[in-house]
Amino acid sequence: MKPVKYTLRVNYLKDLVNSIVELDEQKSFELAKRILEETRDPKVVFEAVRQAAEIIGEKYEKGEFFVADLIMAGEIMKTISGLARQKLKELGEARKIIGKLLIGTVEGDVHDIGKNIVVSMAEAVGFEVIDLGVDVPPSKFVEAVKEHNPDILGLSGLLTTAIDSMKKTVDELKKAGLRSKVKVIIGGGRVDQYACEYVGADAWSNDAAEGVKIMLKWMEEKAK
Amino acid sequence: MVDMSSTSFDHLSKWIERHEREPELVAKEKLDRIIRITELKTPDRVPLLAPSGDFMLNQTGLTWYDLSYELTDKVKKAVSKFALEYPGDFAIFFVPYLLEGFILAAAFSDFPDFSNSIRFISGLLHDVLRDKWSRWPGRELRVDQHPQFIGGEFMKPEEYSKLVEDPVGFIHGTILPRACSGLGSPGTPQWNGAWIRAGFAVQRAMGFMMETLMQLKGYPATPLTNAYVPADIIGDFLRHPTGAILDIRRHPDEFKAACDALLEPVLKVATAIPPIPPLTMFFIPLHLNEMLPPKLYNEFYWPYLKKIIETLVGKGYKGFVFFEGDHTPHVDTLLELPKGWGIAWFERPRDFVKSVWGKLKGHTTVAGGISPMLFYQSPEKVEEYVKNLLQEIKPEGGFMIAPGVSELPKDANPASVKAFINAVLKYGVY
Repeated sequence: MKPVKYTLRVNYLKDLVNSIVELDEQKSFELAKRILEETRDPKVVFEAVRQAAEIIGEKYEKGEFFVADLIMAGEIMKTISGLARQKLKELGEARKIIGKLLIGTVEGDVHDIGKNIVVSMAEAVGFEVIDLGVDVPPSKFVEAVKEHNPDILGLSGLLTTAIDSMKKTVDELKKAGLRSKVKVIIGGGRVDQYACEYVGADAWSNDAAEGVKIMLKWMEEKAK
Repeated sequence: MVDMSSTSFDHLSKWIERHEREPELVAKEKLDRIIRITELKTPDRVPLLAPSGDFMLNQTGLTWYDLSYELTDKVKKAVSKFALEYPGDFAIFFVPYLLEGFILAAAFSDFPDFSNSIRFISGLLHDVLRDKWSRWPGRELRVDQHPQFIGGEFMKPEEYSKLVEDPVGFIHGTILPRACSGLGSPGTPQWNGAWIRAGFAVQRAMGFMMETLMQLKGYPATPLTNAYVPADIIGDFLRHPTGAILDIRRHPDEFKAACDALLEPVLKVATAIPPIPPLTMFFIPLHLNEMLPPKLYNEFYWPYLKKIIETLVGKGYKGFVFFEGDHTPHVDTLLELPKGWGIAWFERPRDFVKSVWGKLKGHTTVAGGISPMLFYQSPEKVEEYVKNLLQEIKPEGGFMIAPGVSELPKDANPASVKAFINAVLKYGVY
């Protein structure tokens, strides 16, 4: 019986990855439910989410996917990884955390569409996410870095003024002697390479999937 | 490298001096440049869009609270001084109208005498309406924080049919009471009184904006009317962009029907100000555009934007459309519009020269080419960049050099901003 079950799982995995990438909400939901019922293995769902996030990130980079697609994908991932987490809980297990992300929209800015997509996707691929919300002052970021000791600090913002707040936050981190302890990624509609250099961040991204991909790469490097 | 040993910005100094000496002539030259580029012709020099935003505040010592609420001579003078020190051919100083409010214009689209005056939200109006779409310095935000449009969800997906049936009635009866706690319920004394107060607030804000613009030396007054893409009304004011984007996939027919229904009020607002020769532009900022994949853009967004532009251009207006974000994937669709329809201003296309200018030159007037982040670079680098960009773009006309958004960051290097203007004056002559 074992080989049959194995084949079944692989197909399930492939089908679920495909239905997420095709942004088919209904199919993804039904498939995830069936997988959890039949295999009782939430890891298949988590793995599908991880693989789908990677493909979606690549598609976004190539210009094949857009923010609207990321929002839909984020919704699907949030829903099905929620189902998987629930199953895990029923089984009395906990999910392996691949890394810790501290994130927030920087001081002076209250926009959160982009940040929320990152949160959904990062949680879906296995990050523990501490979301500080919007309009977060530099001092609060610094305190939170001290308290939670994250692997990655994500600074989000849409307004041009957010770039200044990002720089201030990174400067405060340096002053507190914490800069070398975390990787810093900045994100938002108006960040670019210039902004990244000015802020003193390690990476920048205009889109959530690519951002998550960068963070996954960092965690892989760290694990080596 | 460009030799910047003098760093005296000679061209800029001379232009500033002319703004003071012969403001009417300078204003006329600026207007001529804008008219020429909208006709896709070469003006005497490439026109430039003036900088503003946080950078302006840093230079003037004003706060966002001042710009939003202090309708005083101090503010007027500071804005005029800034507009003189960092001049442009085309300027966007909407003080104190600082945030999107097109839903209000749509709500009053049957009132051509004031629908355009209530198209933006001012802090004064926000105080009366207590709307949940916007947040203001000195109110929900600190005095030094930029007013912020956050939108929100004020309509459920099940309510599309009501919006479709009677858009204006639905906005008044359902959306405004939900989104504006200052209004109370329709028909109550609070509701009626609040609208009278709103009228006063609009009049004060409008008056102040006109007075501020009149004080600017060497700037032409061009009439401007307003339009909006139906999908953005839904995203910005009714369902939140996230909700709108999910609706397009989950409730496509209802979404499209709502866009159809919203077209009429949008066109009523736009035509409330008649097209006055030589140039009356209609302003449309786009929001959902860059977020949508071409398939969805072509079905739920572009047909409506196209219809609005074609209708208004047919009536004698010219467009001034802000393409937020990276519009590159949708640039080709603009070629479906009549040649010379207006100015397309691009925020941050992936490759401005190749994918925007290369495709649109000779068909659409293009504005853009400068990342606001460039102003963190040295004056020498800025001059070099402008010089190279202009070399690539000239000799064709129909171009305005502009930062991707007029709002420059607070810490933008003043010398670099001056170097930008100076370089355009120096290298932009045809």
